[in-house]
Amino acid sequence: MATTIIETGGLTRSYGDICALKPLDLQVPEGEWLSVMGHSGSGKSTLMNLVGGLDRPSAGSLMVGGEDLLALSEDGLARFRREFVGIIFQQHHLVPYLTAVENVMLAQYFHSVPDEAEARSALERVGLGHRLKNRPGELSGGEQQRVCIARAIINSPKLLLGDEPTGNLDHKSTVMIMELLKELRAEERFTVVMVTHNQEVAAWGDRTIYLDDGVLVREERTNS
Amino acid sequence: MVAVKLIPQLISWFGIVLVLLRGFPGLRSVVTTTSISGFAIGVSGAFFMFRSLPAAIPFGAVKSALGVSFLLLWGISVAAIYRSTGRRVTISSGARLVNTSIGAGTGAVLAGIITGLVCACRISGTDGNFPKLLFLVLIAGILTVIALAVEKRLPASLTVSPSGMLTAVVALLLFCSSSSLRLDLFSPLSMKVMKGVHDFVHQFMESVLIPDHLFVRSVVWGYIGLLFGKEVGFWGGMIIWFTPAILIALAINFQRLPSVAHIRQGARRRKLLADAIRNKRMLLITPLFSLAIFAAAAYQSSFPSVEYWDPKPEPVTASPSGEIFIPKKGEINLEDGKLHKYLFKQEGKEARFFVLLSPAGQLTVDLDACAICKPDGYGQAEGSVICYYCKTLIPLDTVGKPGGCNPVPIQFTEKADGVAIDGMTLLNAWSSTVRATARVKEGGK
Repeated sequence: MATTIIETGGLTRSYGDICALKPLDLQVPEGEWLSVMGHSGSGKSTLMNLVGGLDRPSAGSLMVGGEDLLALSEDGLARFRREFVGIIFQQHHLVPYLTAVENVMLAQYFHSVPDEAEARSALERVGLGHRLKNRPGELSGGEQQRVCIARAIINSPKLLLGDEPTGNLDHKSTVMIMELLKELRAEERFTVVMVTHNQEVAAWGDRTIYLDDGVLVREERTNS
Repeated sequence: MVAVKLIPQLISWFGIVLVLLRGFPGLRSVVTTTSISGFAIGVSGAFFMFRSLPAAIPFGAVKSALGVSFLLLWGISVAAIYRSTGRRVTISSGARLVNTSIGAGTGAVLAGIITGLVCACRISGTDGNFPKLLFLVLIAGILTVIALAVEKRLPASLTVSPSGMLTAVVALLLFCSSSSLRLDLFSPLSMKVMKGVHDFVHQFMESVLIPDHLFVRSVVWGYIGLLFGKEVGFWGGMIIWFTPAILIALAINFQRLPSVAHIRQGARRRKLLADAIRNKRMLLITPLFSLAIFAAAAYQSSFPSVEYWDPKPEPVTASPSGEIFIPKKGEINLEDGKLHKYLFKQEGKEARFFVLLSPAGQLTVDLDACAICKPDGYGQAEGSVICYYCKTLIPLDTVGKPGGCNPVPIQFTEKADGVAIDGMTLLNAWSSTVRATARVKEGGK
């Protein structure tokens, strides 16, 4: 039986009077690919930010990988993000004046020991061996997202979070990215939590949960 | 008042306990118990020594213990740097002992005893009594408990290597002893270096048969004088003082990183390397901090906060027969045990001298200069006179005896109501011992 990697109990996040995430109980077994669907403002990104240690909940409990994120200090959270989580954003957030390989190495600096050969190898794994020295502006949207994936997996995270990673991509690029993620997950055995509003993308996961106005309204297994 | 007087010592004690607690992880109760027990043993040992022995013996014993601990640090630092070059030194049994209760207890009790002795010397040498010493142990106990609480709040990543711990403990011991003139090691060390260089140069010139004044011009003497200077002693002392901590810091810095080539996963490999690098940096904190403590000890030794009795020289004149007469009683009481300085001027010549009643009850008249140093004069403190130039302490018992850095004794006649000194003898003595060698003394000692 797989161990639970994410466990929330009454997890809540409010911004003043606005409750972005209402008390949520959720368990994610290790190795699962969980898709989170919902409309804009439904609390998807809020949930992802909380699980990734990018934000702190207003109430409830949150255990990720055996760590109680509420008990961690800012330094502890930074260490948790550095060593446990890889994140892929819709907007890439690549540094425009660094090359692809340098962008990947930037994540290595979190350990203060960069390794260019390893960064090159990561880019080769995502099919960008020929674009190592190109800057983000010289890459297509799909290629930029693959650089993001290489950057996200370079520290061998146990948990990969995706916030609409294919939101800006066409169908062909989307499929390419999802296949790549599937391959990497099979090799690295990380858990995936992917926020999307695209049913087709959600279908790549093992399970999909639906949020509406901060409330988990539905949950279903997918046949991927 | 006792606590105020002992502020450097108590700060050092707090630091020592903190470092020991961090240096022996998991042995907090052993370190706490043994260190405070050691402190109490040291204090009571000093109390009984001061009661039953002349003061010079306990001071000498404590100074020797401090010297031995500094030599031990030297030995460990040389071994550490030797090991860091990759050569094997079999000290594994010793290293294993460090992390046992016996090792921790022995280290803590020894540090406690020496600190207790130093603290007790600080007050017993002057006005120590049993209630004060009991109060001292109580304060040390409270500081130990505070150190225990503080240590628990320090980041876990702040680790201390055994050699780093020894460096910090010795540095703190030397810091706490440097505020006491009779326990200070830095000034005697500088003086030894100065005298060593002096003897070496002298011996070298004799052995290669360089005739002194015939061929060596004054410019050359100026350069030779630099070797006889106070600065040579000071900087030589500084090198000996700081080298062990520097060697230990270098040994930590030269430590090899773990081999990670066999680890397939890049992130794990980098994390292991990063942890090793971070750990190394943390280990460096203690010896680098110790360097600052050594510097503080050297500063305290060079600029002691002790207030010397240093009266302004009283001008005196000679009678027509050439005799200087100083009455025993009058404005100045010659027999009060204090140093009394005088200045005699005649025909463009002058001489500075002092009169002092020794602890044995004998009056002595001496030049305010020795035959070796620049005539910076003497001050009086803590049962000694001190040469301002080289910081040598001369026990009051030996003032009046010739040689070394002792004040040059002058012949005088003790009368019922005063002392009489021949003015010409005084001027000649000053001239021959001070001015004759002034050329070299200009450059230093």
